[in-house]
Amino acid sequence: MGRVLLPALASAVLAAGPAGAADVPANGPPGASSCTGCHAPSKLADSAIPRIAGRKAADIETFMREYRSGAWPSSVMGRIAKGFDDQQTQAIAAWFAAQPE
Amino acid sequence: MSTRRTFLKLTAAAGLAPAVASAQGAAAGKVVVIGGGYGGAMAARMLKALEAKLDVTLVEPNPVYTSCPFSNSVLANLREIGQQEFRYDGIRRAGVSVAQTSATAIDATARTVTLADGNRLSYDRLVLSPGIDFNWGAVQGYDEAAAQKMPHAWKAGAQTVLLRQQLQAMADGGLVVMSVSANPYRCPPGPYERASLIAYWLKIWKPKSKLLLLDAKDAFSKQRLFQNAWAQLYPGLIEWVPLSKGGKVTSVDPATLTLVTEFGSHKAAVANVIPPQRAGAIAAQAGVADRTGWCPVEPVAFESTLRPGIHVLGDAAIMGAIPKSAFAANAQAKVCAAAIVDLLAGRKPQDPILINTCYSLVAADYGISVAGVYRPDKGQLAEVPGAGGTSPLDVVGGFRGQEAVYAESWFRTVTAETFG
Repeated sequence: MGRVLLPALASAVLAAGPAGAADVPANGPPGASSCTGCHAPSKLADSAIPRIAGRKAADIETFMREYRSGAWPSSVMGRIAKGFDDQQTQAIAAWFAAQPE
Repeated sequence: MSTRRTFLKLTAAAGLAPAVASAQGAAAGKVVVIGGGYGGAMAARMLKALEAKLDVTLVEPNPVYTSCPFSNSVLANLREIGQQEFRYDGIRRAGVSVAQTSATAIDATARTVTLADGNRLSYDRLVLSPGIDFNWGAVQGYDEAAAQKMPHAWKAGAQTVLLRQQLQAMADGGLVVMSVSANPYRCPPGPYERASLIAYWLKIWKPKSKLLLLDAKDAFSKQRLFQNAWAQLYPGLIEWVPLSKGGKVTSVDPATLTLVTEFGSHKAAVANVIPPQRAGAIAAQAGVADRTGWCPVEPVAFESTLRPGIHVLGDAAIMGAIPKSAFAANAQAKVCAAAIVDLLAGRKPQDPILINTCYSLVAADYGISVAGVYRPDKGQLAEVPGAGGTSPLDVVGGFRGQEAVYAESWFRTVTAETFG
């Protein structure tokens, strides 16, 4: 009975994002869980560092790309963004976009 | 997005859960976490958040955690020690059992932890995040009694308060002497942040005083940034003596507050000794510390390479290129928790990427940082080439002020994520 569920689940999972479906652990693709040390996952704390949960994935990707190139000046994010390629950035952006704001 | 969790719940409900999972069972899994700091408290909380059915116990003898990050600001009267203190109520509310006692013995074969209160806990996976202990006697004459005269203040709390009291009681014109250990030790830039903030405070309140920084090494974290700032903000106040110029302190006399180096001796009005360190004692008892006193781990789930089933986090672990910082311990904890959930369900954990960002204050409104991105490579966590590095040497406008603001924002966020 359960077996008929699998193809439907698999396609739903595959459609979920570029991160690669069942490879996404519950706390995000590689690198994502480090981000919340500064970018609070919910409105936890009074902070000058912007929250990224619930932001549009395309916006997060743009920020990361411009931090990486230096087009958008930053204190620390340029140094961090250089550690992630487009695919990794895309997966992280998709994951944060899907988190509750 | 909980795609995978949803997938797993659905497959489990449909009776499709992998055989390993039903044999060992994420639902029946028991995880014991020893040590309630930035690594352990975060790991316990994240384990419960990722898999509510896990039985998670945090073993921590202190009812209150006193944070080392920002404790240098307490020395400079910029914060009170109470602002460094965090309780475990939030972690209890998250469903973690908190055993307020210490672990006295670990049996890695039987997978049990014996507690000081006489109880014994069994585990499927054990997380050790015991922080550091000091190598008493490595600097001759520096033992626990000496630390009451010449505080280390390298575990925050009573020692921080003692050092602050000594600084405040010192006469203007007194010599403050700091002794810094060789690598590795907790918080690589911490001693230099401390020297900076003590200088910041001396300049205001004891302007005739000086600070002598005796160092057992010839180079240190964010060195040029610190030294440029010292020249600019505190000219002539801080004298750094590297190893090659006789900076290594070999013995101390707490009765006379004298620090002896290979080149001479210095009598202090206030002495702060940051001694050589090793992993917290329980690590050696468990058999996960090697001859260096620290704990080697693999780079994906941070499982000990010496004892299977035991994961080591934070300052106690040898983590390749990733430094011993609170940010790193917090990042490791979240990766480790996800990996343990995977392992208990019979899945292979995914190769992680970790970030470290470490701020230091040079003055109340002057911050500098070092960052890095790390991934597994040849059995270690290696720095991703081309990423990371320190704040730029030459900056304009409010850059340093902005980094000071970000430092405090990080502190509020990470403590809320861990303890809030």
